[in-house]
Amino acid sequence: MTPVTAGRARPAHVRRRRRFSAAAPSWLFAAPALAVYALIVLYPAVAGVIYAFTDWSGIGRDMSFVGLANFRTLLGDEQAMGSIGNTLLLTVAIVVVQNGVGLLLALGVHVKLKSRALLRVVFFAPVVVSPVMVAFLWKYIYNPDPTAGLNGLLGLEVDWLGDPSIALWSIAGMVVWQNAGYSMVIFLAGLEGVPRELHEAAMIDGAGTWQRFRYVTWPLLAPALTINLMLSTIGGLKLFDQVFAATNGGPGYATETLSTVLYKQAFVFGKFGYSTAVALVLALFVAAVSLIQVYYLRSREVTA
Amino acid sequence: MTDLLHHARVSRGQFLRMMGGLAAATLATTACSTRPETTATTGGGGATTELKFIGVADQKTPMDELVAAYAKATPTVRVTASYAPTDQVQTSLRTQLGAGNAPDLHVVYPGNGSAMSMTQIAQAGLLADLSAQAWTQTIPAGFKPAFQLDGKTYLYSAGSSVIGAVYNKKVFQQAGIDAPPTTWSEFLAVCDKLKKAGVTPIALGAQTPWVTQLITYALVPSTVYAKDPTFDDKQLAGQASFADSGWRQAMEMYLELQKRGFFNDKPNGTTFEQQTSMVATGKAAMAVQVSAVLPDFRKAASSPDGLSMFPLPGADDANQVWIPAGVVVGLGASAKGRNAEQAKAFIDFLGRQENINAWAKAIAAIPLTQDAGSTIDPAVQSFLPFTKDRAVPFMDQRWPNAEVQPVHFAVVQELLAGDSTIDEALKKMDEAYRK
Repeated sequence: MTPVTAGRARPAHVRRRRRFSAAAPSWLFAAPALAVYALIVLYPAVAGVIYAFTDWSGIGRDMSFVGLANFRTLLGDEQAMGSIGNTLLLTVAIVVVQNGVGLLLALGVHVKLKSRALLRVVFFAPVVVSPVMVAFLWKYIYNPDPTAGLNGLLGLEVDWLGDPSIALWSIAGMVVWQNAGYSMVIFLAGLEGVPRELHEAAMIDGAGTWQRFRYVTWPLLAPALTINLMLSTIGGLKLFDQVFAATNGGPGYATETLSTVLYKQAFVFGKFGYSTAVALVLALFVAAVSLIQVYYLRSREVTA
Repeated sequence: MTDLLHHARVSRGQFLRMMGGLAAATLATTACSTRPETTATTGGGGATTELKFIGVADQKTPMDELVAAYAKATPTVRVTASYAPTDQVQTSLRTQLGAGNAPDLHVVYPGNGSAMSMTQIAQAGLLADLSAQAWTQTIPAGFKPAFQLDGKTYLYSAGSSVIGAVYNKKVFQQAGIDAPPTTWSEFLAVCDKLKKAGVTPIALGAQTPWVTQLITYALVPSTVYAKDPTFDDKQLAGQASFADSGWRQAMEMYLELQKRGFFNDKPNGTTFEQQTSMVATGKAAMAVQVSAVLPDFRKAASSPDGLSMFPLPGADDANQVWIPAGVVVGLGASAKGRNAEQAKAFIDFLGRQENINAWAKAIAAIPLTQDAGSTIDPAVQSFLPFTKDRAVPFMDQRWPNAEVQPVHFAVVQELLAGDSTIDEALKKMDEAYRK
């Protein structure tokens, strides 16, 4: 009965759809959304790209097109180039440590502890605090006074934010502290998705805890790992708030990132055009890195 | 990582949104910034003009007082003021100026050399010409570059502040120091005495960028301008440089203070707030600071009168000691605003002698012009003998662009960290100057 009905219905259905699409192209339904998107995303984006080829100061009407001059300046800009190095170092440190800590936290709060709900909240709490607030908080923790903050606690005499060879890692530390809970939540979601049957089967086969993690849990965490690596990479490459509030790029240029450079060019030096060029390069760079990352990581994902 | 939570949702629009980030920010700020001021009718029946003022935190005390006085004198105009820290005001104001949506009155920094300085904004045609106002006729000749561009006045400022050593009188007494030093060698001897007495001689909060510049600024008048008062002109003409001038000597003196252990440990990890409290509480004896922040030191001290200032002597001959005296941060009127006339009238009001006096008093400044009603803060009395012919404006006020100053901040931090040499530092500053 069913096949017959379906067989009869199909031509009618197709005809109806064809007639309808002739009357109103389907994309028309998306038009209002597209219009809003164009106005508040595409238009400013394109307008912003145009500034990258000008010498606009950010105020006034004087503006002329300078072609690729801004991009050439960037290549010869010692400070901007140095900031790329800092940005990459920070990103690598944050990606590795944040996800490592996040995974350990997730495994920790995944086991059936009485306090696990509380622990999950505690570990996640820093994520919801404003990054600027976190930076101010950590400025106290990183107090160079040997009797205060982290130094007092650990009996150290480290100038966390004032020593150019340490400052970058101190910032990475506070970023990891803030965001590890976020990675934890995503890993936790992945862990919850691992079917219990697989673990039971593995146990029957005599697999120990490590073997079950390595051969059952870990491959199935691949989608969570993909999203975590991508998010922390993007976050690291764009890092601004914590650096700006904690060190303002200093001491010297030790913690300058691409984002603080582009901010300073626009709002401190009054070079809006050049700043937009830096922003454009940063955006393309982030896009390229994420695409490569996703392409590679997706290819190694498996499903349960 | 401003919006990690959002990343989960966006991946498609991420790329475009980032490209549009700056432009979108402009759009968003424009949308939520002040609308052009409208005239509202009050219950009394008269029309009230509302003038919007955006200033920096330093201006709050004097402005609050003078805005209230103006409201009494001119009931038809109401000035609403809002204040923000320096960095933020630069960002938000420049965005509003860029969008052609400036407030009627806003903070303007004297001279040239910062993104919100008089020259930069006047050149963009955004500041109203104040030259017709009576008070502008009395601006001292030495201060004209801070107020004027091409002979027209675009800035109002109530007076000048000086840079010198803020010191804790009690700590000096306890170390057996009777009088402030008047030469560099006396200064070093005083520091030595203080160090032996077990206090930090000089508190330095070099983690706060603008604090890094103050010791160089305090020394350079003696090492550069006392020898050649026309240094700025020569430098602008390309005939002089940081590297081949007394700037080198000033940097050497700066580092000598560090080498002798006269600063607190880890100045690069110490902030302005910590520096202030160290002097206020007597943990440190002094801090080289600008007189405009004296109120901050007094607020932190148990007895405000226990603090005073003296000029930092940058030469071994007391007659060769010069001081930096800079015009304090002021304000200007938007040239394009609908209420430009009312805004200018308010500035004219600020220019009256009694109001100049009131403003200067609130921030421990030396009034631009003085009369019988002018009060000068006792802490800066010792600077007055210098202000006539041995004072120079703050160095950055005549620098040609906004990049030299941040480079100066950065190289001082590098020098303090032992990460750079004076040669490299001055070379970087010269490069930034020529940009």
